[in-house]
Amino acid sequence: MSTVSLRPCGDFRTSYAADSTIFETRFTRYLAVAGILLLCLAPLVLDAYFLTLGIQVAYLGIAALGLNILVGFTGQISLGHGAFFGFGAFASAWLHNSFGIPVFFCIPLAGYMTMVVGMIFGSPAARIKGLYLAVATLAAQFILEDFFARADWFTGGSYGASAPPVNLFGYEFTNDQSFWYIALFALVTMYLWGTNLMRTRDGRAFVAVRDHYLSAEIMGINLTKYRLLSFGVSSFYAGIGGALYGHYLGFVSAEGFTILMSIQFLAMIIIGGLGSVKGALLGTIFMVMLPEVLEGIVGLLSATSWGNSTAFTDGLAYLKEMSIGLVIILFLIFEPQGLAHRWQQIKAYWKFYPFSY
Amino acid sequence: MNKRVLIGTLVAGALAATSLQAEDSVFVGHLADLSGPTAFVGKNYADGIRDAMSYINSHGGINGTGLEFETIDYAYKVPQAIASYKKWVSRNNMVAMQGWGTADTEALISFVAKDKVPVYSASYSGHLTDPTGKNPKTQKPAPYNFFYGASYSDGCRALVQWAAEDWKNRGGSGSPKFTHVGDNHPYPNAPKEACAEYATELGFEVMPPIVVSMKPGDFKAQCLSLKDSGSNYAYIANLGGSVVSLVKSCGTVGTDVQFMSNIWGGDKPIFEAAGAGVKDYIFPAMTPFWEDDAPGMSLVREISRESDASGNAFRSHHYMRGICSAYYMKEAMEWAKENGGITGENIKQGMYARQNWVPKGLEGVCLPATWSSEDHRGINTVNIYKGNYNGGDIKVERVTQVTLPRREDWLGY
Repeated sequence: MSTVSLRPCGDFRTSYAADSTIFETRFTRYLAVAGILLLCLAPLVLDAYFLTLGIQVAYLGIAALGLNILVGFTGQISLGHGAFFGFGAFASAWLHNSFGIPVFFCIPLAGYMTMVVGMIFGSPAARIKGLYLAVATLAAQFILEDFFARADWFTGGSYGASAPPVNLFGYEFTNDQSFWYIALFALVTMYLWGTNLMRTRDGRAFVAVRDHYLSAEIMGINLTKYRLLSFGVSSFYAGIGGALYGHYLGFVSAEGFTILMSIQFLAMIIIGGLGSVKGALLGTIFMVMLPEVLEGIVGLLSATSWGNSTAFTDGLAYLKEMSIGLVIILFLIFEPQGLAHRWQQIKAYWKFYPFSY
Repeated sequence: MNKRVLIGTLVAGALAATSLQAEDSVFVGHLADLSGPTAFVGKNYADGIRDAMSYINSHGGINGTGLEFETIDYAYKVPQAIASYKKWVSRNNMVAMQGWGTADTEALISFVAKDKVPVYSASYSGHLTDPTGKNPKTQKPAPYNFFYGASYSDGCRALVQWAAEDWKNRGGSGSPKFTHVGDNHPYPNAPKEACAEYATELGFEVMPPIVVSMKPGDFKAQCLSLKDSGSNYAYIANLGGSVVSLVKSCGTVGTDVQFMSNIWGGDKPIFEAAGAGVKDYIFPAMTPFWEDDAPGMSLVREISRESDASGNAFRSHHYMRGICSAYYMKEAMEWAKENGGITGENIKQGMYARQNWVPKGLEGVCLPATWSSEDHRGINTVNIYKGNYNGGDIKVERVTQVTLPRREDWLGY
């Protein structure tokens, strides 16, 4: 009976393997596999609008997980994640346009290139932390933004760069229906990898660095190495996400990768839950869906006769922007551990129902 | 049984309603920046589009077909623009779109070409003008992109041409100095090279560009460099608050330079905010101004009443450009309706159907435009205006009209 459950009742773990399993019960594992299979069928039922939202969740979610590994698991801070995301997009386009490498390989290569760049900018992390590190990464944001606008050979400057669609055995993934599979494949692979990383020696070292760097050092963890590695992994994720974004749009322009994007990534992981792989995904879904839901409400209101006046719809536009800010503040007050924590509580509630504990 | 009949009727009714709607109207998406970083001018332009489309609807639509439209404030965020676009294409069967900024227009180039949805943007980026990718410099052909106005590059070229004349008229000797002033950002950078090349061709000495942030601030240091460089003509490529700060800072420093701005950098609200620093400020425009007396202005004033019943509200020239953009789309749709139905592809053909073409009723407001399947530079004429502050009594007057050649090497550049 315990298999038909989302959460084991009691702690029966008797081995390290059981302790670090990804899925707590067999049922959740089946559920996850079934969920992914169902998602494979999505293009048959969902229209391009829902698919595009799903694809956005995929490429932004991959980058958000990268940031969560850095901020949530290792306790470093980065305000330049948006720029690394952009670097990945440009790098992939550049690799394809200049060297004719198939796009399918450009995406991971772009991830590695971004990793190198991320580690260069992350190198101050070996010596400084906290606010000083935040400012150092902020510099990365501005330097890269300027680089995008100047480096004609790499980004096409103000013209931007074209990024052809993913091409596999002669089949081009040009529409949302087909790109959905690329996005889903990348999302599942990167999230599985992220989850596994956290179960390895390196992952545990990240958490030790975050929890108490002095203790970690005393235990023999090389702080410099792991701080840098964390920056590398985080940028690798950002690069993959960015490359997917570029090849989905078919065109990369420097305008999008501003500090606002970096802050949005931070918002995603805070809302989703710092230090949680699941949280990064939940936070991304939340941040992608929120403007759409609010837009829907605005749309419904402006369909009414009184709601169609210009003054009213203009007012609503501002209200929409403000409510995004409000939601973030409310999260910080009432749900500081994010959506991932809320999900745990919901599971616990049903497990113990009708007793509260 | 009763329930079944009821449900049946409801379903049939809903189906009938949707099919009726489908016959009577076509859907046009409208992306606007009402609350984002470019809302300063984005709101005026969006009002123009919105009022024009409501006016078209209340006056017979497209020969009887209504325009169903939805305005979405995407706050200059590309992902939101993409999501809205996808929603419109997959759910509303969108036939054309009124867009806004450079970032979103460029992000959508491939999608709109694939879905065959003509996009009328307010990004005048030169590389949206090459529909076939004929120019080797074109990164991505943009076959479904249109805009009403001269491209940023052509606008700047026209100003440079004016400056060359001006230098001669002033009796200047030697080669005058030209400087690009703007942020290092795709929008201000768009005409940088094209303009510098033409300036060199006309005998200018092109100085290193001066970088000024798009965000308002204290720009005295940049103004000092401008002063030290001895520039005679400076092209301001930013917009809104940044231009205001720049003009004020340079006024304080006392630069002796002739300012010229792009199409978004010169309008009355800017002059009002910048105050005394505005002296013989040169800027391009594609329409007359609110107080001007052109035959088409009566229609513009009527359209303005859609959102301002009193008819007293001041409208900037960005508003008029929005109207022109909507009206070129309207007439292309009319052509499409007569030639096989209002579909994206037919609207595109409708854009090519006429030459030197002004939408009916807007004579003197929209400049005659010609689009062809090889060349999407609709307008190659630029009206050049001069603005003065005069202690609060803002005076804007037309200086000249420059018509640029349609040079092959300028296509998409």
